[in-house]
Amino acid sequence: MSAPIVLLLILALGLVGWFTARARARLLYTGRGSMHSMPTYHAWHVVLWIVVPALLTWVLWTSVSPELINQAVLNDPAAAALPEEPMQRATILSEARSVAADPSFIGFTPLSTQLAEPMRAAQLRFGLLGAALVGIVALAGGGYAFTRVRSRFPARTRVERGVMLLLLGASLLAVLTTVGIIASLVFEAGLFFRDVSPIAFLTGTHWAPANAVGNDLDSNFGAVPLFWGTIYIGAIIAMIVAIPLGLMSAIYLTQYADARARKVLKPILEILAGIPTVVYGYFAALTMAPAIRDLASSLGYANPSTESALAAGLVMGVMIIPFVSSMADDAIAAVPRAMADGSLAMGATKSETIKKVLLPAALPGIVAGVMLAISRAIGETMIVVMAAGAAARLSADPLESMTTVTYQIVQLLTGDQEFNSPKTLSAFALGLVLFVVTLILNIIALRVVKRFREAYE
Amino acid sequence: MSNTWQSPAMIKRIARRHAAERRFRLVGLGAIVLSLLFLAVLLFIMLKNGLGGLDWEFLSGSDATNADAAGVWGAVKGSFLTMLVTLLLSFPMGVLAAIYLEEFAPRNKWIDWVEVSINNLAAVPSIIFGLLGLAVFINTFNLPRSSPLVGGLTLALMTMPIIVISGRNAIKAVPPSIRNAALAVGASEVQTVFHHVLPLALPGILTGTIIGMARALGETAPLLMIGMRAFVATPASGITDPSSVLPMQIFLWSDEIDRGFVQNTSAAIIVLLMFLLAMNGLAIYLRNKFEVRW
Repeated sequence: MSAPIVLLLILALGLVGWFTARARARLLYTGRGSMHSMPTYHAWHVVLWIVVPALLTWVLWTSVSPELINQAVLNDPAAAALPEEPMQRATILSEARSVAADPSFIGFTPLSTQLAEPMRAAQLRFGLLGAALVGIVALAGGGYAFTRVRSRFPARTRVERGVMLLLLGASLLAVLTTVGIIASLVFEAGLFFRDVSPIAFLTGTHWAPANAVGNDLDSNFGAVPLFWGTIYIGAIIAMIVAIPLGLMSAIYLTQYADARARKVLKPILEILAGIPTVVYGYFAALTMAPAIRDLASSLGYANPSTESALAAGLVMGVMIIPFVSSMADDAIAAVPRAMADGSLAMGATKSETIKKVLLPAALPGIVAGVMLAISRAIGETMIVVMAAGAAARLSADPLESMTTVTYQIVQLLTGDQEFNSPKTLSAFALGLVLFVVTLILNIIALRVVKRFREAYE
Repeated sequence: MSNTWQSPAMIKRIARRHAAERRFRLVGLGAIVLSLLFLAVLLFIMLKNGLGGLDWEFLSGSDATNADAAGVWGAVKGSFLTMLVTLLLSFPMGVLAAIYLEEFAPRNKWIDWVEVSINNLAAVPSIIFGLLGLAVFINTFNLPRSSPLVGGLTLALMTMPIIVISGRNAIKAVPPSIRNAALAVGASEVQTVFHHVLPLALPGILTGTIIGMARALGETAPLLMIGMRAFVATPASGITDPSSVLPMQIFLWSDEIDRGFVQNTSAAIIVLLMFLLAMNGLAIYLRNKFEVRW
């Protein structure tokens, strides 16, 4: 049975349960204080008993039924012709599944077409069985809860306990996501590090996954050029653009602009942060890169490349400006007014006050903001994919094409190779490095911001 | 000493300091103007290249190998289905988690862990969520590749922390007197929250949700990881069909060599920016109309 039908079935049963239970509970109501809980709570109590067990049953059933279906198909006489080798068996079975789902699909082996018919029959049988099972569980749960509709029954307390569990479950989902990220990255990266030594990966300077066949894996998976490219584009070029512009905009907006100008300028500046990165990437590739190439050739460079670290870094820096600006804004606003007033009272001009008093006092907050900005820039993908290039090289020339960790992750995972090759697994190792580095930057920055705020409170 | 303030040296010195002041102010203004100029150039170039391509055929067509015949409808529909899945998952989950953390959670080590992980998830690079989606949804659960279902699930995990954070701020802004009043007339804690606090916090939560959804709508990198880059010539009819999304369509067209696709890419960018503008406008409208200052 397909998922939407079963879900609708469960919901329909729940709806019926809600109305019958409420009607029954209303009959019990004989006046103020005659019941522990309002009729609606009895209704919700019944719904919980119908929906939750039924959903659990269904999840359990969908996790075991493919295996049961396979078993049933293997018992079919037509399956006797299946090859013994488990890999081939699995491929033919999955082909048969595709043919069963869509008769126009042509399998590579005639056997799969023969097996499609028993497959479809088994799917139907087990699907109906599963739906029946879910229905029985729902009715049993609903029936049990229905017998509890009595005037003294604390339905509200029970329902509220269920709501609490739901709330707790929702907040655990965030932890589950974190655990899922760490587990999947560590697991796949672990598979990669079985073939390639972590030291060679982290310290090697030659990156050429395409050549990595046979035994010389270690020498082709040196990720240092990628780390350098990432740092050069995200933490150096982008920050050279973003820090001065972001900081000066924040200073101008908070210290010089009047309230009206600020109200207009700030949201417009924030638009820069809301533009999707793919748009920036296209702009970098379409406009920025050719402009930089022309500039380079007019400066006497021979054969400048269309893809340059400079184009990607510049555009990325512009994208980060509002972020740096709002962090600097917060940091400057956290400095007590009295410090600036003291300086102004001594006769310092406004710019002298900003440079000599406000900025030094706000420095920890600004540094933390820059760290967060760097963590955002090095995790940025689309701009570098579209504008930075694929060549892994260690070079300090901003006009050369350079590659980054995120670019390589995309490159490695969007081909059509088999999943468990070292080449695809190396993407997860790169992802792990990226995750750890951004995590460390974020944790340090958040801690600095917190301590900095406390210092002035 | 009689006239230090009028001495030529002093006047010169003060003039120099005031000139420095003006220079500093100009640099600040220059920084803003430069940033906004960049924005203006970006928008101008997209409009110049793309406006000519915006017509009904472009809006109602699907991807094609021929630049003239290609349109965005398939991608818009894919984006819509993906956003639907994302919203249906991340909104309830995010709001429930925000309620729990703000109203009911006991102060202990476990809850600290939940908070730390939510704050960090909000700053994890989006491509990492793509890797998670690839490893979990596609390789472990065998969900259909490049479908709005998997895309929506992946983006929901990414959007949920944003909704939780904005939801918590909105709930925190509801004054305790509301809670005390409800509790005083005999409402239970759950009733207090769901009947009184949540409705008052809802505009703030919705604003945060729309901003989170706008971010998810423009996201490309995680969807690249789960294979949403295939050439799809027919719009998806359900959430399990292979589909493209708007930012992915922009990315795919930007790679085409045919010059005709420059116009298509820019026109698709205009469509995407229009959607984002509408969503952000709605968020600002909601905030201004319903937000209560306590």
